[in-house]
Amino acid sequence: MVILELRGIVRIKDGFRLEIKKLKAREGEFLTLLGPSGCGKTTTLRIIAGFERPDSGEVLFNGGAVNDIPPYERNIGIVFQDYALFPHMTVFKNVAFGLEMKKLPRQEIEKKVRWALELVGLGGLENRYPEQLSGGQQQRVALARALVIEPELLLLDEPLSNLDAKIRERLRGEVRRIQKELGITTIYVTHDQEEAMAISDRIALMNIGVIEQVGKPLELYYRPRTEFVARFLGLSNILELQSDGEKACLGSLCFKTEKAGRVRIFFRPESVYIVEGNEAEVRDYELLPGRIRLKLEINGHLIIAERFLNELPFPPERIPRKVGIEIRSFTLL
Amino acid sequence: MRFRLSKIILLVPLAFLLIFFYIPLISIIREGLWDNGFTLKYLLSILSNSYHRHIIFFTVEQALASTGLTLLLGLPGAYLFARYDFPGKRVIKAFLTVPFVMPSIMVALGFLLLFGKEGFFTRLFGDWGILYSWKAILIAHAFYNFPIVIRMVSSLWQRINPHYEEVAMSLGAKGFTLFRKVTLPMLMPSIFASAMLTFVFCFLSFSIPLILGGYQYATIEVDIFMLIMTLLDFKTGSALAIIQISLSFIFMYIYIKSLDSYSKAEEQRVFREPRKMTLKELMSVKGALILLYSLIVFIFIVSPLLAVVYDSLIYNGHFSLEWYHRVFSARYNPIFGATTLTAIRNSLLFGFGTVVLSTIIALIVAYSLHRWHFRGKNIFDALVMLPLGSSAITLGLGYIKAFHATPLYRTWIIIVLAHTVIAYPFVLRAISAVLRKIKPSLSEAAVSLGATEWKAFLRVELPLAMGGIIVGAIFAFAMSIAELGATYMLYSPEYTTITIAVYRFLGSRQFGSASALSVILMAISGISFMIIERIGEEVW
Repeated sequence: MVILELRGIVRIKDGFRLEIKKLKAREGEFLTLLGPSGCGKTTTLRIIAGFERPDSGEVLFNGGAVNDIPPYERNIGIVFQDYALFPHMTVFKNVAFGLEMKKLPRQEIEKKVRWALELVGLGGLENRYPEQLSGGQQQRVALARALVIEPELLLLDEPLSNLDAKIRERLRGEVRRIQKELGITTIYVTHDQEEAMAISDRIALMNIGVIEQVGKPLELYYRPRTEFVARFLGLSNILELQSDGEKACLGSLCFKTEKAGRVRIFFRPESVYIVEGNEAEVRDYELLPGRIRLKLEINGHLIIAERFLNELPFPPERIPRKVGIEIRSFTLL
Repeated sequence: MRFRLSKIILLVPLAFLLIFFYIPLISIIREGLWDNGFTLKYLLSILSNSYHRHIIFFTVEQALASTGLTLLLGLPGAYLFARYDFPGKRVIKAFLTVPFVMPSIMVALGFLLLFGKEGFFTRLFGDWGILYSWKAILIAHAFYNFPIVIRMVSSLWQRINPHYEEVAMSLGAKGFTLFRKVTLPMLMPSIFASAMLTFVFCFLSFSIPLILGGYQYATIEVDIFMLIMTLLDFKTGSALAIIQISLSFIFMYIYIKSLDSYSKAEEQRVFREPRKMTLKELMSVKGALILLYSLIVFIFIVSPLLAVVYDSLIYNGHFSLEWYHRVFSARYNPIFGATTLTAIRNSLLFGFGTVVLSTIIALIVAYSLHRWHFRGKNIFDALVMLPLGSSAITLGLGYIKAFHATPLYRTWIIIVLAHTVIAYPFVLRAISAVLRKIKPSLSEAAVSLGATEWKAFLRVELPLAMGGIIVGAIFAFAMSIAELGATYMLYSPEYTTITIAVYRFLGSRQFGSASALSVILMAISGISFMIIERIGEEVW
């Protein structure tokens, strides 16, 4: 079932144009809006939340338009990048805020707050003030505050970007665990491709106001539809070659194609296998923990290859000047 | 949008300012430029009169010189406060708030007592011819404004990323070159903005030139006052007021522009904790300079106040409460036509009225400027800030012209309204300063959790802004208590305030009574000061 749908959204602000033709989030799905800063992902989130109004287009919750419904009636939970914890309220008061707005009875509020704080692993810190908590703890309080009202949609705006790398990695696992446990539909905004790959069911990759591609992380990674997608996620090789209608060749390296003319062949560094041979010249290489990244040149084209050290046909201490390569999977861009 | 607080509420401050600021302003313009048709003859008669011309030049000159002296006194303090933590810093910092809340008539009296023929300063150091000259005016203006320079400049100084200076040092810059090439340009917005504000205040100040300058060193403000209240020449007075308004609006415009770049500079930078001075540093020349500066600040602020207190306790050469006895025992004081208790009651009444009115208006304006985007916001911003550029005497004149035929005239309400127009820009500043610090994501978080925008305001923003609102309210109270010019033009004997009583006593050369009443004024202001200190909100 589709929980959230954006249809033909256009928003023009300060000379920037955001246009989202179509975007859907299914029930229980973890959908990430990924893109460089300034691509419009946060604006999209704010439109979903209702803090900003689209100039045209519709936001639908459960099939019904919510354009005219204010944020406080949309039943959403939101976590901001800066957490936005109320500094004059204790942890308990912060988490209870949304329940108090719903005028729930005292006992029920207490029960739910306790549940939410347990859920994020912060039981016992009810009486602290936000400034007495670490960044990671503040983030958890913000999450508990958003979840306690049992929202239909959870919106997370770069919630981890202010944290240290270690805590960030641990918390993202926890966010995912809680999201699965509650089965809550989640829209997640980030500029961090690794985070997006690790956590999402699907990713919508955005670039300067438009969505370039929506799909599962592996779809975007191995079958990018545009060069932007290919280059944004991980390292990529893109070769511009001439095809005769059946194949395009680079020396002895040939790729099957369907139409003649210029083609663009895309493949990831890990699709390049190193074999015995001498058609590629080793320009440079870099050692990574357990892996090696080679910069190879064939007929003036540069190719990046990445392999585990134990997959090389020669000892890693003695890299030859010339190697053979095989490209086992590729996509036409 | 449905979840927005209704913008209709903007009509409250707009209507208020239209009726109680812009209509009086227009009345003055009409009076000065209209005589059975448009005429420039009153304006030209001022410009061709060497006395008035001299006064206009003197007003600008003394404001410039006062600003110079203020910077001279304030900049070293800004440096010390931004860079170092030293014992007693908190106390000195607290003392800097004193001038904000002390009525200028009382401070003028203090300087009168210090520099007069029998004054403490004169007895200690001889007569330097300070009183009834430009020197006294400059000193008193510096007293009021150097804390502004310290606050604004040190606040920006603390935010200059140390990396800039470190990079410059690594590239070979040091000492004064480092300061001139790197630090000073980055400080410029704050120096310029604080200097501009000081200039505007000195340009428009009333009580200080009135009492310390005498007739010979009158400013435009004093000149208008004399034209209206002594000569009853409304035409010339209005024409002069038009000149004053035009000039002060230009200065205000420059100030507001400079404030923009100041706020921008302040926002962008990191905050650096002042360094704790080591014992060794404290014992060195640096420590001695800090001690010297602190001492100067302390003496400068405290001595006029002490002079007033001392004078109030001396009767016929020995300690006595006689002045207090006289001031309070008189059933009817012929000098100002009411009893002292009535004057105190009036001052408090006007003060509280001003607090309520100006806080409501400033809150609406501050909130809408910080949270809303609407068409014509720039114009709205200018319209609500202009009252800061009007002077008390001009406002009083405008009220006389605009309201003399209405039932409002000669009521206490009209005095409260005038005080509100004068005080509210300062309340606005205090509230804006705290609202700026409250992240918009807080109220958005509240709204996402089911609070309406109104509820989010009440539960989240209002409690967080409370410190600034209270400080703003105290400012309003202190300014209303201190106000002399507009009140004097609008009051009738039953609405005598303490400041008017003090002025009347001064006019009849009864310094002892003036001092005793001033001490009461000081006590009330002292309470304001302590509340501000208690809250500890940085507002300037």
